[in-house]
Amino acid sequence: MYALLTLIAGACQSAMASLNGMLTDYLGMFGMSFVVHFIGGLLLILYMKTVVHEKLRITGMPWYLYSAGFFGIFLVVSSSFCINAVGASFTTCISVTGQLAISAVIDHFGWFGVPKIPFSKKRIPCFILILAGLIIINLS
Amino acid sequence: MAFVLTVAFLNGCACVISKMINYRCTKVLGTYNGSLVNYVVASVLSLILLAVSSHFHLDLYTAAHTPWWMYLGGAFGIVAFIISMITLSHLKVMESTILLLVGQLTAGILFDTFAFHNINGKKILGILVVAIGIIWDKKVSSQSKSSGE
Repeated sequence: MYALLTLIAGACQSAMASLNGMLTDYLGMFGMSFVVHFIGGLLLILYMKTVVHEKLRITGMPWYLYSAGFFGIFLVVSSSFCINAVGASFTTCISVTGQLAISAVIDHFGWFGVPKIPFSKKRIPCFILILAGLIIINLS
Repeated sequence: MAFVLTVAFLNGCACVISKMINYRCTKVLGTYNGSLVNYVVASVLSLILLAVSSHFHLDLYTAAHTPWWMYLGGAFGIVAFIISMITLSHLKVMESTILLLVGQLTAGILFDTFAFHNINGKKILGILVVAIGIIWDKKVSSQSKSSGE
């Protein structure tokens, strides 16, 4: 049951990214970003007020943590741009590859205060397989 | 093409960094308020960028004539967020990562087929190879993490 829900959550992420791509054609990237975050924010406030009954509070964090919003904009704008150019599934493949690569680097050097985990050579064949898949997609 | 691939790759990198920042926000403000910050700051910032980039001429005509269902992206994002909040404590991180990926790719292929019309057998094969590589890597890296501790 939870597994099925998680699958649906993944599908929702794809649906969101694809719809955002289409919306960009009408509203431009910043218009799309505004609409998506505004509607998302309103729904989240609604959920917090009606279901989990939490008080709204967004002040009192160190200033640099507010850069979360900047990343939020970059994420929706860049994914929309790529989906409109090469489609949803290819964008997901490359994006996840980017996630693996940066996580490996962050872990290896212990950036941002995470515990250091040296890069394991056992992962190299996995990366080669991913690269091979990306090349197949690129050639199709 | 190379530019698009670079942007997609950077999107993945930004995704990880953004998750780390969001995680710290939720440590300070709690799960929901910590996530709300992202939406509030991003809305305000987007509105400013939109106003400046359009020289303060907002095109409300186009906004009103956009098909209504295209506005549902934000709603799908929130549904995904709420589901992951509910399920996260019931699944192993590894399981939920793989399930999310499979859901994302399956829906991605469906969207490519019916909305963007840019899918073929070779592409699906490539996506499967990538997915197997990612899942394999998750298995290997989680093993080396647990043995290293």
